[in-house]
Amino acid sequence: MARRINVYQVAAKNLFRKKTRSALTVLGIGLSAWVLLSLLGFNRGYEAALNKDIDNMGFQVLVAAKGCPYEAATLMLKGGTGLRYMNESVIRDILRHPEVEKVTPMLMQAVFDPNKGESGGLSAYLGVDPATFPALKSYLKFKQGGWFTDTQAHEAVLGYEAAELEQREVGDMILILDKNIELRVAGVLTRSGTQDDGTIFVPLRMLQKEFGQEGRVTAVGIKVDRRADITALENKLYDLPDVQVVSMAQVKQTIMSLVSTAKVMVLSIALIAILIAMLGVVNTILMSVIERYREIGIIKSMGAMPWDVFRMIWTETVILCLLGGGVGIGFSVVLSKATDVLIRRLLPYTPTGSLVAVDSGLAFLTIAVILVIGLVSGVYPAWRASRVRPLESIRSEGE
Amino acid sequence: MGCDLNDPDRDVKRLFPESTGYRTLYVSVAQKGGPELLHQIEARLGDSFKGLYETADVPYTMYQVYKGKDLIGYIHGVNQKGRYGGLQVFLALDLQGNIRSFYFQKLTSQHAKLLRDPSFGRQFEGLNLKDFYGYNVTTAATRGESRVAAIRNPAPQAEDDFRAALRAVKKNLILVDEFLLGNRYKE
Repeated sequence: MARRINVYQVAAKNLFRKKTRSALTVLGIGLSAWVLLSLLGFNRGYEAALNKDIDNMGFQVLVAAKGCPYEAATLMLKGGTGLRYMNESVIRDILRHPEVEKVTPMLMQAVFDPNKGESGGLSAYLGVDPATFPALKSYLKFKQGGWFTDTQAHEAVLGYEAAELEQREVGDMILILDKNIELRVAGVLTRSGTQDDGTIFVPLRMLQKEFGQEGRVTAVGIKVDRRADITALENKLYDLPDVQVVSMAQVKQTIMSLVSTAKVMVLSIALIAILIAMLGVVNTILMSVIERYREIGIIKSMGAMPWDVFRMIWTETVILCLLGGGVGIGFSVVLSKATDVLIRRLLPYTPTGSLVAVDSGLAFLTIAVILVIGLVSGVYPAWRASRVRPLESIRSEGE
Repeated sequence: MGCDLNDPDRDVKRLFPESTGYRTLYVSVAQKGGPELLHQIEARLGDSFKGLYETADVPYTMYQVYKGKDLIGYIHGVNQKGRYGGLQVFLALDLQGNIRSFYFQKLTSQHAKLLRDPSFGRQFEGLNLKDFYGYNVTTAATRGESRVAAIRNPAPQAEDDFRAALRAVKKNLILVDEFLLGNRYKE
């Protein structure tokens, strides 16, 4: 019994006849797919990593009493003076805004330590709420110990630099000489690269009590809902009496504009790579059609219709593109770490965490894009093949 | 972490009024001899380096003091764990390693005033590492005719800091002997 010719088998066999050319074409498409998928993965991964970093910064907005130094360094520059207080009821007012996800109250106090240096110096203590502060500063990790055991505990958590300077470990004591208060070191933090490294954290309630500042805070840290408009919230917070608002929104905006520039550059490269791959596909298939001019003529003289020939050539293109797409996805997965390193070298700022997030959804999207490119690229060569006239083609081979 | 003079220009002149200049050297046990040297230093101290911050890679800052072209002495400070925080104990030494002066650059204590009093520091003048070999830094006991036994604690309530100061001086002298004096006082 005669076997019916299968168009797909013929197409696959045709590709195998010129192995090197087909392999190079697949490689070209693969590289384009790799660039495309890595770009899509970068687009997703970078933003996720950046959001995570911004979340790790803790609060994005800080509300402090107007004129109050909100960083220990500024407080030191002012000689420990200039502290302004807000009533704790401000927390209730802040929480009324739907954009606010979490808040944490803080109280900063500075004391003159006559034994610091030769002529004395200032020591600053930051009172924090152990129930809310650690959750907002999730990047703070402990080298030793942990957070306070109680909101009233006479305990301290030292930033890395503070602990190193004072040579303190968990269980050691520190002394607030001015008030003659002994504090036990409950934890020592690892280096974070932030101002927290030089900070001495103590329980808020204890600090309020010992310094006679019950019901008062110097600042409130606010974590804003990710979907919320930080600038709009800032404007609303300015309606609170006698407060200043310090926001990280501008930092995020600056970073995002840097990223957008980088994205445009990478997208341009990806488009060029895809264009080159398309031309490669057209060239390969067209050469194949021209080389098989007589063969196509014979197939048509045996009864194949123009659509059959079109389909055969188009199938070849699709096979090449699917193989190339597969190779590209393989490259992306295997080389994602290397791509990550490369991007980190190229970009002016990169957040922590994975920058290229490749997943199955993006892989399918890449295959779809490559397939569309293949189908478009294959139209012209397939059309040329379908238009071959059998007698003319058989004759032309002998000439 | 290392221990630098707060204001080297001013402090060197104060400790060596006849000086005209100084040179700063940075050395660490890790760099000079690694774990083997650390063991030797610990053996001379009679105690191991403790805690998270007394490590072999601490860069020690040593000042060589000059009068014209002549070397006239050394200044070296060390960090030492005290009761309420890190102490910084500085020694000014002559070329033989004898203490010319002693002072706390940093000290947190309710009794800091007594310990910082010049009369306390004067008790160290003229002593050298040989005297401190008779002092056990872990038990605070002295053996033989160690002149260290004559050093009186002006603040008995601050015994921890007093002992820490003596340990710091012995450690300081050992490091100077190792890095600057060519082990003149090796036991």
